[in-house]
Amino acid sequence: MGTSRNVERRTVLKAAGASAATLGLGLTTGCGGGSGSGDGTVTLRYAWWGGEPRTIAIKKTIALFEKKFPKIKIKPEFTDYEAFWEKFQTQASGGNPPDVFQNAVGFLRKYDKRGVLMDLKSQADAGNLKLENFRNGVLANGQVDGKQLGIPVGANTMALVIDLKAFEKAGVEAKFGWTWDEYFDALQTIQDKVKVAGDTGYFSIMYLYDLYLRQNGKAFFTEDDLGFTEDDLTQWWEDGYKRVRSGLVADPKKVEQVKPKSALSAGLAASEFTWDNFSIRYEGEGESDYGLAPIPTTNGKDTGQYLGSLMLSAFSGTKHPEEVAQFIDFMVHDPEVGRIMGYDRGILATTEQYEAFTPADETNKGVRAYEEKVADAGVLGKITPHPSGADVIEAAFLRLGGEVAQGKTKPADAAKALFSEAKAAFAG
Amino acid sequence: MTLVKEAPVRPAGKRSAPPAAGRRGRRRENLAGYLFMSPWLAGFLLLTAGPMIASLYYAFTSYNLFTPPKWVGLDNFTTMFQDPRWQKSVEVTLKYVVVATPLKLLLALGVALLLAQKRRGQGLYRAAFYMPSLIGASVSVGFVWRALFSDDAIVDRTQKVFGLDVGGWIGNPDYVLYALVALSIWQFGAPMVIFLAGLKQVPQELYEAAEVDGAGPLRRFWNITLPMISPVLFFNVLLESIHAFQVFGSAYVVSDTRCGPADATLVYTCYLYQKGFKEAQMGFASAMAWTLVIAVALVTAVLFWSQKKWVHYEEAAK
Repeated sequence: MGTSRNVERRTVLKAAGASAATLGLGLTTGCGGGSGSGDGTVTLRYAWWGGEPRTIAIKKTIALFEKKFPKIKIKPEFTDYEAFWEKFQTQASGGNPPDVFQNAVGFLRKYDKRGVLMDLKSQADAGNLKLENFRNGVLANGQVDGKQLGIPVGANTMALVIDLKAFEKAGVEAKFGWTWDEYFDALQTIQDKVKVAGDTGYFSIMYLYDLYLRQNGKAFFTEDDLGFTEDDLTQWWEDGYKRVRSGLVADPKKVEQVKPKSALSAGLAASEFTWDNFSIRYEGEGESDYGLAPIPTTNGKDTGQYLGSLMLSAFSGTKHPEEVAQFIDFMVHDPEVGRIMGYDRGILATTEQYEAFTPADETNKGVRAYEEKVADAGVLGKITPHPSGADVIEAAFLRLGGEVAQGKTKPADAAKALFSEAKAAFAG
Repeated sequence: MTLVKEAPVRPAGKRSAPPAAGRRGRRRENLAGYLFMSPWLAGFLLLTAGPMIASLYYAFTSYNLFTPPKWVGLDNFTTMFQDPRWQKSVEVTLKYVVVATPLKLLLALGVALLLAQKRRGQGLYRAAFYMPSLIGASVSVGFVWRALFSDDAIVDRTQKVFGLDVGGWIGNPDYVLYALVALSIWQFGAPMVIFLAGLKQVPQELYEAAEVDGAGPLRRFWNITLPMISPVLFFNVLLESIHAFQVFGSAYVVSDTRCGPADATLVYTCYLYQKGFKEAQMGFASAMAWTLVIAVALVTAVLFWSQKKWVHYEEAAK
């Protein structure tokens, strides 16, 4: 080197400054930063979860929006369901969640409690967002304690997807008002005649157990707790395990192995409980024909069903609340958007979109017919917004149900574990 | 340091710098050193040391990421030790470490012994065996593994030929962990390279002398090779067990992010991740992380203590 100490010190300072600057640069890009620009254009971040078809459709709707609102740019972010909520949690805790995002009932209270969700009523009052024309009262899905935290984009309800060929071959018919006993008898007949398990594992599905509880005057969640007892759940899982052992329910090992394919489309069983709009996937995956059948009942009448919904929510701290409201309004009311999205996120929630889209294929027609039938039957109940921690409990329910099915945990122990995990989840 | 060492070899006649200037020069050189280190140092302080100190603090708090952390003392630790899933994760991890580490090292040593012999295309073989270590940690390999060990996939079909019908390892809680063990063993390249280097260091005279004395290959391996490479073996055991304790990626991907079925692949880090990032219990996750650090430190200490009994250093022999 051979230079004076002063020069040396300057070099050191310069270098230190340079590394600090690099770090600073890293920090700003990492945080996303501001979204406005000099010419009055604003950029909104819009995030959702779902498969490829949904992403392609949503991107088309974004292009449409940007054409009609040239001053607003939309930056899309998307992943699958699990990754979405992990990422969202981290972003939200850092004060940097997307401006607009897809949401579901299990997360409303959780993120409302943490101050992340915008009450969209104020924007509706300001005339930036219409809260009219929602079908079958589905708008209530986005309401918690008098606040409008989400705007539904679609409505769906639980259904039983059946392998039509297997049911036909066994000569059993799924009809409205059938009871659980009739349902399990049907599974037995299918097993005897078609030599395939009847169901893919009904007892690990939280939303189905919710229906069963509702049929019996209870519910999975109350406002801040579980709405059933440990004994209720032990009984439910004991029955389930018995049916796995007798082969009425598909072998849980095989169900696990065929993932990500569903056990129904893989031909391991003849029926599966799921949300009705999910039925669209089976046609593509499986070899058979699939149809929607009604939920079994306890008293031959009440199914306990309600309309669930995916919705759009907004970040309470967004810098552009007005544009956010305009965007959501466009996404839920514009007929063209309805035509593009179809029933991917459930039956379109607003009358404008519902009337704009006429399903052409059998599956979508089936979903529409099914929901109309359910609505006509007048059995639809109201949904209670799930307490904070519901998402963690749903995952635990699925996991523990799986352990019971695999014979790794006794039903009573699993029920006990669920209650203790629920306690921790509610407290979190 | 280098200045001091270089001083005596300076050509005679040239006077060495006075002591004061030397000190200044040294300081200047140190400064330059720090300068070059500064990007790393800044990264270390900001991205490693900072978060570590923060996590040590969070380990004694209840922290859900949104509300400020609440001091709870040792609560996280007491809850943790009583948590059946935490116990399960410890059990799964220990099983994994105990099964995967020795098997991997055994294979690495075996192949290293084969590759140490001179033969044509040696470089190619070495590269080929090392390759999996480079890509093994990637997510795509996890998916490949999932595909290999699923129901009716190649492993399952091969087993059936031999009359073993377990129906794929992935969905079976009794077998799925061994799919992860297999994945770990498959990446034996890194310890193999280290073994190879160790084998090259063994003086040929020892073998020649032993041969003259009539020692067979097995005896030569047992009495010469193994003691001579024991420091390398020690290093590999240490490194591989520490790695095994931290297994995450493969368990997470092969089990489809759920560390199952039935928690069968719930390795420690997987549970830690679930607690922290899915359930937002960062305090609990931090407590878990520090417990792991202490456990790994203990295992390392035990290994270091045990080496006196079985690791043979040449200096000691002299």
